[in-house]
Amino acid sequence: MQGSFRHFNWLMFVSMLALVATGTVAIWSAGNARAETVFHGMWKANLATAFVGLAVYFALAFTDYRRLLEWAATPAYIVAVIMLVAVLLFGSKVYGGRRWLWFFQPSEVSKLCIICMLARLFGDEGRRSFKWFALAILLVAVPIGLILLEPDLGTALTLAPAVLLMLFVARIWRKGLLTILAIGATVAFAVLGAVYEAEKPGVTEARREQILKWVPLKSHQLSRVKVFLFPEDDITGAGYTLRQAKISIGSGGFSGKGIGKGESNHLKYLPQSISMNDFIFCVYAEETGFVGSLVLLLMFGALIVPGAWTAVVATDGSGKLIALGVSTLVFAHVWTNIAMSIGLVPITGLPLPFISSGRTFLMTVMAGLGLIQSVSIHGRETKNEPVRMA
Amino acid sequence: MKHDESIVSDLSCWATMAVFVLGLIVLAVHLKAVQVDDAADYNYEKNRQSVRRVQTAGPRGRILDRRGRVLADNRRSFSIVCNASAFRKRSWEATEAAISGAISNVAVVVGRASPLTDRAIRRHVRQSLAMPIVAWRDLNEVELARFSEHERLYPGFSILETEERSYPNGSLACHLVGYVGRDRARGEEGDERFNFREFELCGRSGLELYYNGFLRGVPGEKKLLVDARGFTERERLVSEARRGPDLMLTIDADIQRVAEAQLAGLRGACVAMDPRDGSVLAFASAPGYDPNEFVPVLSQEVYTRYLNDASKPLLNRASGGTYAPGSTFKPITALAGLQMGYPSESKYDCSGLYALGGLKLHCARHWGHGPIAIREALKVSCNTFFCNLGMDIGTNAVINAAHAFGLGAKTGIDFADDRSGIVPDDAWKRKTYNEKWYPGDLAQMSIGQGMLLVSPLQMAVVVGAIGTGYLVTPHLKAGEPAQQRPLPFSKRHLDVVREGMRMVVAGGSGKRGGEGVETEVCGKTGTAEYGTAANRRKNTWFVAYAPANAPRIAVSLIVEDGESGGGTAAPKVAEVLKRIFNAR
Repeated sequence: MQGSFRHFNWLMFVSMLALVATGTVAIWSAGNARAETVFHGMWKANLATAFVGLAVYFALAFTDYRRLLEWAATPAYIVAVIMLVAVLLFGSKVYGGRRWLWFFQPSEVSKLCIICMLARLFGDEGRRSFKWFALAILLVAVPIGLILLEPDLGTALTLAPAVLLMLFVARIWRKGLLTILAIGATVAFAVLGAVYEAEKPGVTEARREQILKWVPLKSHQLSRVKVFLFPEDDITGAGYTLRQAKISIGSGGFSGKGIGKGESNHLKYLPQSISMNDFIFCVYAEETGFVGSLVLLLMFGALIVPGAWTAVVATDGSGKLIALGVSTLVFAHVWTNIAMSIGLVPITGLPLPFISSGRTFLMTVMAGLGLIQSVSIHGRETKNEPVRMA
Repeated sequence: MKHDESIVSDLSCWATMAVFVLGLIVLAVHLKAVQVDDAADYNYEKNRQSVRRVQTAGPRGRILDRRGRVLADNRRSFSIVCNASAFRKRSWEATEAAISGAISNVAVVVGRASPLTDRAIRRHVRQSLAMPIVAWRDLNEVELARFSEHERLYPGFSILETEERSYPNGSLACHLVGYVGRDRARGEEGDERFNFREFELCGRSGLELYYNGFLRGVPGEKKLLVDARGFTERERLVSEARRGPDLMLTIDADIQRVAEAQLAGLRGACVAMDPRDGSVLAFASAPGYDPNEFVPVLSQEVYTRYLNDASKPLLNRASGGTYAPGSTFKPITALAGLQMGYPSESKYDCSGLYALGGLKLHCARHWGHGPIAIREALKVSCNTFFCNLGMDIGTNAVINAAHAFGLGAKTGIDFADDRSGIVPDDAWKRKTYNEKWYPGDLAQMSIGQGMLLVSPLQMAVVVGAIGTGYLVTPHLKAGEPAQQRPLPFSKRHLDVVREGMRMVVAGGSGKRGGEGVETEVCGKTGTAEYGTAANRRKNTWFVAYAPANAPRIAVSLIVEDGESGGGTAAPKVAEVLKRIFNAR
C-alpha cells in the first residue's frame, strides 16, 4: 500500500472531491426550490452515495485493473446486458422512458461495463482484423440497442465518443471506423439540413410533410432539433426549456446571484422536473455566474486531463484504453450537457457528472475514476514484471 | 519495459488530451458570451418574466371651502385581502376553489358574506394573480375587531389599511363636490411600464370628476417578484405613493348651507357669485343626495333608488338644469332696446293683453298697467311692454343682447356640467322643429318665454354683469385669475336697467327680495310658465345683485313649480343676502 500512494494521482482525486462538494451544494439549491419536500434532503442522499462511491473508488484503485479486467469484465458485461433486458421488461416508467430498475439505472452502469469489455479485449494484442472489428461492433451494438429501446438517446450518444475513440486508438480497422464516422456525420448533417429546409419560414405545409417523411426522428426529437435550429420560434412551448435555461445561465452574469439565490430556479421558471438533473448546470451557473462556470470547467479539466495523462504513463494497452475511455465518457457528458444548456447542440437528456442528482451515474463515474486511479497506480509496470519484484 | 510495443500510441493520448482542453475552452468561450457579453439581455428577459411593476395609488386630496372647511375628506378604512399565493394548487380551478372556500370560512368570522363572486375570483386568478384580492372592503368596527382576533387562524388573509372618501357635511354641496368611484388608474397611451395598476378613487361627477387629475394621489411603485405561474413571492417598495393636493374652493360653506336651507324640500337651484371676479360662493341644487352612501362602492340598489326618484336628486340643477328665464330675461330685452335707440322715457300703453295674430299674451295685471316707461315696466314686470319692445327692435337685436350676456353658450366654469341652454333663432328653429321663425316667437322670447332656456348659473352671471357692467367667467377653484369681458352696452343704458331693477326690490314685484337685507338690492323676478294649458305650472325665479352701487354679490335662485317669483323665490334670495350682508 505504501508504494501504491507513490503513483496515486492526487490532482484527479482532489478535483473529484471538489466536484462532489460542488454537486452537493447545487443539488441542495435545486432541491430546495422544489415544492415537494422530499427533494429538499436530496443533497444528503447525494453525499451518502458519494461516500459509498468513494469506497468503491478506493477498492478499484488499489486493485490491479488487469486482474480485474481478466476476472470481472466479461461477467460484468453479461450482467449489464441482462439488466438492460430486465429494465425493458420490469423497469418503472419515468418521464416517458423505462430506465429504472428498482433503485438504479442499468444504462449508466452498462457504460462502464462496455468500456471495460473493450479494454479487456483490445488492450493487449493487436486484434486489427475485420473479424475483431465485427465483434467489437456487436459488443457495443447490443447494449446500445437495448438502451435506445428504453429509449435513452442521450446515454447512447455519450457512449459513442468513448467507444469510437477506444476502437480508433486500438487501431481496430480504422478505415471502417472512419467510414462509419463519416456516414454518421453526413446523416446528422443531412437530418439537420432537412429539418431546416422543412421548418424554415415560408415553407408550405405540403412540402414540409414531404421532407419530414424522410427524416428518421420521433416527434419529440424533431421538436428538439427544431428548437435547436429556431430557438426563438416557440418560447412558450417546445422552446421554453432552452430559453429558460439560457435566461438562467445568462442572468447569472459575471459573478452570479449567490448560492441558493438563483431566481429562475427558485421561482420555478426552470422546469422543476429537470432542474436537479439534466439542467442543473443552469441552477449552478445562475448562482455562481461566469466565475463559477469557469471554476467548474477547471475542476472538470483537472479531472479528465490527468485521466488522459494516465494513458500516457500506462505501459499496457488495456490501461491506456480504460484511462482514455473513462475520461472521454466523462468529457462527453460534461461537454454535451453544458453545450445543450446554452443551445450549442440540440437538447438531449443526459446528466452533468457529479453535479446532477443521480445516484447510479455518480457511482458509475466514481467507479470509472477508480479504475483510472488503478491504472495510474498499477499500470506503470508491465504484467510480466510484477510490482513486488521491481 | 515494453512501453513502445503498446498498440495505443502516445500521440493518440496527447491528441485526446488536446481535444479535452479544446472542448472545455470552446465551452468557456460560449459561456462568456452568454454570461458576460449578453448578461444584460438575459437579465432583462429574466426581469420581464419575473418582475411585475405595480402602480400604487396614493390618497386623494381633500376639497375645502374658501376658509379651509372640509367638504370632501379621507377616512381610514380597513379591508381584508386574500393573498393568492397562500392558496396555490396544481390547477387554476383548484386554486380558485381553495380561495373561494377560504373566503367562505373567513366570512363566518367577519359575519358577512364577501361580495366577491366566484366569477370575480376566477377573473382575478387568471388576470391579476400577483395582486392581493380584496375580499371585504371598508369593514365596520365590529367586523374589524372580530377578524383581528382570529387573523392568525387564517393564513393568506390580512388587513389592508386604505383610505376611503368621506363627506363630513353629508349632502352639503353634493352636486358641486360630486362623488367618487373606484377604478384602475389608466396609463398614458402606450405607457407599458406597469403590469398592474392599483384600484384608486376617481371622480365620477362634480368637482371630484372635473378636478380628478388635480386631486388624485401621486402614484407610487412597487415591484412584485412572481414565480413561473404568476404567484407573488416577494414584493419591494420602489417609491411611496403620496397624497394628492387639496383643492380649495371659492365656495363659502356658510352661504352654501343657507342657500340649501332655502331650497329644502323643494326642487330648485341657487347660485351666489362674486360678480367682480366670478368666484362662486354658493352652488346649490335641490333635492340632493348623501355621497357617503356611494362609499365604498355605489351599489346598484342605491343608484336605482336615486335614479327612479321623480324629483331627480342626482340632477345638478344649478348648472345642468335649464329653464325658461321668464321675466328675469326682461333686463336683457330692455338693454337691447335701449341700445337700438328706444328712448328710456318713452311710454307704452299697457292694456293687459298683447295680441299678435292668434297669439294672446297677458300681462300679470289683467286690466293693464296703463301708460308705462321702461324702468316702471321692469319694476312691475309688464309683459306687454317688453313684447312690444321686442317686436320693435327685432329678433336679431334680442338675440345679440342675449349672446352678449353669454346665454346660449357655456359659462366656462371649471365644472363638467355646464349647460349652454338655448337662445333660439330662425336657423335653430328650422333645424329643430322644421318650422320658420314667427313674430310670435320673438314676442315670447322678449319676455323670456318660448324656446329660450338658461341655467341658474348663467342667470347669476347675467345679473352680476348688469350690476358691474362686465361679464365674468365663473369659477370654483380658489385663486384662479378673474376673466372679465366688458358688456357692449353703455353705462347710461345699464344705469336705466339698474334703476329699474332697484325699483323692483324697492317696491315692485320683487320687494321681498331685499327684505331685511342691510344693503340695497337690485333684482328681477321671473315666473316662467310651462306645461299644457290644462296643467299650467310655474318655475319661479329671482335674480339679484347687491349692494346696488358697488355689486359684490350676484344671486340667482329658481324654485320649480313655485307660486311666483316675487312670492316664492325673492324671500329666499333675501335670506341668502342677509347671511352675507347682515352683521351677526
